[in-house]
Amino acid sequence: MTEKIKLYDDSKCTACRGCQLACKQWNALKASQTENRGTYQNPPSLSPNTFLLIHYQDYVDKKGDVKWLFRKEACMHCTDAACVTVCPSGALHYNKDTRTVGLDHEKCIGCKECVAACPFEIPRWDAKTDKVYKCDMCESRITNGMDPACVKACPTGALSWGEKEKILAKAAKRAKYLGGDAATYGDKYCGGTHFMYVLKEKQEIYADIHRNPGVPWSVTLWKGLLKPLSLLAGGGVIGGAFLHYMIHGPKVPHEGTGVEEKKGGE
Amino acid sequence: MKKGYVQVTDSYERILHWMLAISCLLLCVTGLGMMFQTFNFVGAFFGGLKSLKLVHNFTGLVFAVSLALVIRMWWKEAGVFVFPEDLDWCMAAGGYLWHVDKVPETGKYNPGQKAFFLVVAGGGILMILTGLVMWFPTALPVGLVRWMYPLHALGFVAIFAFFFIHLYLGTIGNPGSVDAMITGWMDKSVLTMLHPKWVKEMEHEGKLVVYGEEKKDDAHGHHA
Repeated sequence: MTEKIKLYDDSKCTACRGCQLACKQWNALKASQTENRGTYQNPPSLSPNTFLLIHYQDYVDKKGDVKWLFRKEACMHCTDAACVTVCPSGALHYNKDTRTVGLDHEKCIGCKECVAACPFEIPRWDAKTDKVYKCDMCESRITNGMDPACVKACPTGALSWGEKEKILAKAAKRAKYLGGDAATYGDKYCGGTHFMYVLKEKQEIYADIHRNPGVPWSVTLWKGLLKPLSLLAGGGVIGGAFLHYMIHGPKVPHEGTGVEEKKGGE
Repeated sequence: MKKGYVQVTDSYERILHWMLAISCLLLCVTGLGMMFQTFNFVGAFFGGLKSLKLVHNFTGLVFAVSLALVIRMWWKEAGVFVFPEDLDWCMAAGGYLWHVDKVPETGKYNPGQKAFFLVVAGGGILMILTGLVMWFPTALPVGLVRWMYPLHALGFVAIFAFFFIHLYLGTIGNPGSVDAMITGWMDKSVLTMLHPKWVKEMEHEGKLVVYGEEKKDDAHGHHA
């Protein structure tokens, strides 16, 4: 088993969107008709046919300088993935080798439980197919020793894919090299994500980024406590009824009187 | 029908009871098939998990209609506690847990039955509301939708546990009582033991219908 991580370094990203296109190409996803909204960011958000999106953001820093910030949004492939925890059919699963989160559409029943559970709001439900879609880290490629399509397409080295320890070390080294507010994002959330960032600016500056994401309490309460409790309580009642029948016995009226029969030995 | 049996329910009550019971059981079975991946095999009986999901959702609608009618039908008799008699009955645990010389007499339904009714009514409403949000989760803010799932599971914990209590007390725990929901006629001695005050009330009002005896009054049972 080789646990692997995909790293996105926004200081190297030119927002060429080669990754976005490669993703569409490998996964055979159609383009959506969109309209000009005054930004290069297109399409506007993730969708059932967009698993990967480069965010464009104009940012004015303290000195009054205008900067362009880019961020690649896609499934973060959590180690403790809420979507896998809630998935009723096993469609969402951990890849045995890389520990990334795959999605088997044959098994997806379109219940949308993962849509509400994901702390990064990644899975998107398609009304036409009644199934959910998201990045599966190109499971068909990585299980055959290839890089994910987005990494393969990246011309600047902003994206990389490799063994967990090596990537973690690489990300830490890069953040340190960049200095200032540069930091890693992802490695501390949800047990460590298998897609992580090196961000050149403070996390707070990035629009629409999820701050301090984690497995929702509702998911822990639901799947960790109430789910096992349901069978325990049901089983407890069956056991209790059995004991009641054996020890106390049923209520039986004394022959023809309508008064409960007195039991001996009580 | 045996002589000496008393009519305790009419067909409307029994049909609604079984509509609610069968839809509830089907919901439990199909729900378990989705709640535990170990029980995914249940999906095979419905042509796959996706069909199982659809059966679950639409059975929920049957359950909702049944529950609304059941609440309307039984609310007055089983939804409201009457003091002090219901409290006295509770203090004696209805004679179910330890020996009680004389179980305090209550109305048609004892507080145990009322508690079951209220759990089904309240829990059922919770299941319907949370279930509807779970059916269309993209229509509401995610922060709200997230809490519908544990609430749905909480309702299941309560209803599933209460179901087995109901099953036991309605069959082998109280022999003869199951007739109330099958033929609608119960052995008078069993009925008098379990619901003495109700029998007295019916006798007093001339509403007691005993098989083989001439009717004292046409009015009996439930009026929908």
